[in-house]
Amino acid sequence: MSKLGIFDLSVRYGKLTAVNNISFTVAEGERVFISGPNGAGKSSLLAAIAGEVRAAHGRIEMDGDILSGRVPEAIARRGLSMVPEGRRIFRALSVQENLMVGVGLRRDKTAVPDDLEAIYAAFPILGTRRHANAGALSGGQQQMLAIGRALMTNPKLMLVDEPSLGLAPRVVDEVYDRLCSLQAQRGLTLVIVEQSSARAGRVGGRMLLLRGGQIVADGDAASFAADDLLKEAYFGKAAP
Amino acid sequence: MTLQLVFDALSLGGIYAIAALGIALIFGVMKLVNFAHGQFIAFAVFALIVPSTDAVAVMGLGAAPALVLVPALLAVGAGLAVASEYLVFRPLRNVSPVALMVASFALGVVIQNALLVIYGGRPKAISLWPELGKPVRLLGAEVPMLQIMVICAVLLVLALLAIMLKRSRVGLEMRAAAEDFGMARLLGVRANAVIAGAFALSGALAATVALVLVAQTGVADVRMGGQIMLIAFIATVVGGMGSLPGAVAAGFAIGAVSVALQAVLPIEARPFRDAFLYGLVILVLLLRPQGLFASASAKPRV
Repeated sequence: MSKLGIFDLSVRYGKLTAVNNISFTVAEGERVFISGPNGAGKSSLLAAIAGEVRAAHGRIEMDGDILSGRVPEAIARRGLSMVPEGRRIFRALSVQENLMVGVGLRRDKTAVPDDLEAIYAAFPILGTRRHANAGALSGGQQQMLAIGRALMTNPKLMLVDEPSLGLAPRVVDEVYDRLCSLQAQRGLTLVIVEQSSARAGRVGGRMLLLRGGQIVADGDAASFAADDLLKEAYFGKAAP
Repeated sequence: MTLQLVFDALSLGGIYAIAALGIALIFGVMKLVNFAHGQFIAFAVFALIVPSTDAVAVMGLGAAPALVLVPALLAVGAGLAVASEYLVFRPLRNVSPVALMVASFALGVVIQNALLVIYGGRPKAISLWPELGKPVRLLGAEVPMLQIMVICAVLLVLALLAIMLKRSRVGLEMRAAAEDFGMARLLGVRANAVIAGAFALSGALAATVALVLVAQTGVADVRMGGQIMLIAFIATVVGGMGSLPGAVAAGFAIGAVSVALQAVLPIEARPFRDAFLYGLVILVLLLRPQGLFASASAKPRV
């Protein structure tokens, strides 16, 4: 059974179709990049999986359970966590309070202090600034906090939306290093929206290429880099 | 004389602050300006007396010892607010903020008319804790015992609320939800529980205001929540919509300015005290349209 299954999913905003009849599955422990130009429907796809927007059509399953139609908090309780676009840190809360918001859904409350220390070990800067206001963190630190906050819910499947947005390339490298080592440690399944397919190729994994709300290619991220399909997805078919 | 003014300012400002908090708490989590808050206060006032349209009020709950009366009335306020949320606002969860606000007006009218039908329209004299009217000497000033009790009660309520918000799980979830409700839900925070919790707290705060109003004025009037609701709403706007410290600070500031104006205005200008007060409010909002303490949640998200 796949970890995540998307079947004939469509998402519409009024008359605008953002995601158009998409189907794919993600295996347990897999790392899947979703790439494509602006407006391809990447973020809408993630938002629909997490329950933030309602699917117009289709079905979403996790471990064989149907997620579509459930409210976001119920989906989070099934072990899905989201690092959203723009990070959406609680700026008025301290770093530690941000990390603690999501532990309310956990049944293994006794493991929370150890998990908190594990996050601080993975992201030492969060540990040293644990009592600081989260709004005072730099962009890279906020991205790490958003990842740590999602991990504190002890997810099995994590959705990460544009972790590189607005960050310096060196910081992006660091964010991906941590993400990959955390994935290896915890046996996480990762679905990452990454606009730069070159970046996805370097990090490695499977890549789905979206355009106009549809999947135009599905394969190994590294082999995509110089592919014509990619240019086509971004710039359209060359005139004959 | 001046010390007396300080006590007046603190006790009046404290009531405004608690009423403003009741509005700011709900606005924080669901962007609803609850205009029925004044009627929540009036409802709690009438919950003290036996239902009847007679001109003379007979104490019901109000005759109970304070240790029973206070928690029971807080529960009445919380119960009314939670019931309102469940019956009126929950079915309207996804409508525009303007529609929610109109619904809160309608709810207020319904509560007020229910009180009119049950208790009649004439104000009734009721006497709650008359022994608190005795003055005591404090730091060289004659201060009514009641005023000291009000100031202590306000500080106690503010301290308890601050601890609850800072230290408890539900407090953390409320603060997170106030900043970004959608994100809090993505982290498993239950929307219904947080909203019901905010309404319960807001209703208990309305009951606190009701107790103080009755003890101070000795009157139960169907219309009594309206005036304080107006000032409390102004305090939440001046403080910055959704900012709890802002609502408290602005409540105290409005209380202090009213008392100060009463003292310094020439006799013939005193009937227009409120005009001066609202003039100042306009001035503050011209200089800082976002309020004194703009909250993160009031900013649009990109």
